[in-house]
Amino acid sequence: MSSEEVFNRIAVLRAERGISRRDLATALGVHYQTVGYLERGEYSPSLYLALRIAEYFEVPVEVVFSLKPFPRLGSRS
Amino acid sequence: MRSRWQRYQREALEKDMAPAAYATRARRRVIAGLAAFSVALLWVDAAVSWFLAPSDLAVTINFVLLAIMLVIYLPAVTLLNVASRGTAALPARMLDERQAAERLRAVATGHRITFGLIGLALAAVVAGTWGEGDTARIPAAAVFILLLAIWLTHLVMPLIIVGWRMPDPVPDEDDERDEHDDA
Repeated sequence: MSSEEVFNRIAVLRAERGISRRDLATALGVHYQTVGYLERGEYSPSLYLALRIAEYFEVPVEVVFSLKPFPRLGSRS
Repeated sequence: MRSRWQRYQREALEKDMAPAAYATRARRRVIAGLAAFSVALLWVDAAVSWFLAPSDLAVTINFVLLAIMLVIYLPAVTLLNVASRGTAALPARMLDERQAAERLRAVATGHRITFGLIGLALAAVVAGTWGEGDTARIPAAAVFILLLAIWLTHLVMPLIIVGWRMPDPVPDEDDERDEHDDA
């Protein structure tokens, strides 16, 4: 696992809002597989793309991306 | 005209062609290996031409090797292009940042490999003609095929590297939904 790994909640946000991978990819102007690789943590986006993703979901960027794993839903931390 | 062709190319590369053939990393690596093997046949062909040309035997071996090469090369390169969705084939403006970065990495690695191969070819030519001075001769067929081998290697190496490195693609949600519907 890379020490430069960036964790994200794109899949959660996408599922919560009922947006398909293709719709998100089209809105961001990227290939739908790129969204998949982002969700699987196999690709870390540029700052520009990260900001655009946060803007798309209308949340601050730190809600979508983190250097530490996000706590699981229902966990106390 | 050109942009229409590029759009057509992009759409064609989004359509799966024998998806089982490149569904896993191991299979994509086999295809990448076959593409590399087919290009290596051209290098072998150049060496054969050096020793045997001009002769009927050299012509026969040339055609046989070229035929085998094309039979392997064309499907392998097509499958790698489809598997990578044109990462190494489409113009940069049609790629997103991940694909562009992947292509840059592959081109840089491919450049180093091609650089090494050209160095080896140069060393082979120097070694093969050493001490012959002004009378040194290389058959034109060998020169032509060697240049063809260098050109094709340079062209296809980034694609081979992209195919070799590519992680397993994320299943399309439409396909996943279809599978659920079938179940």
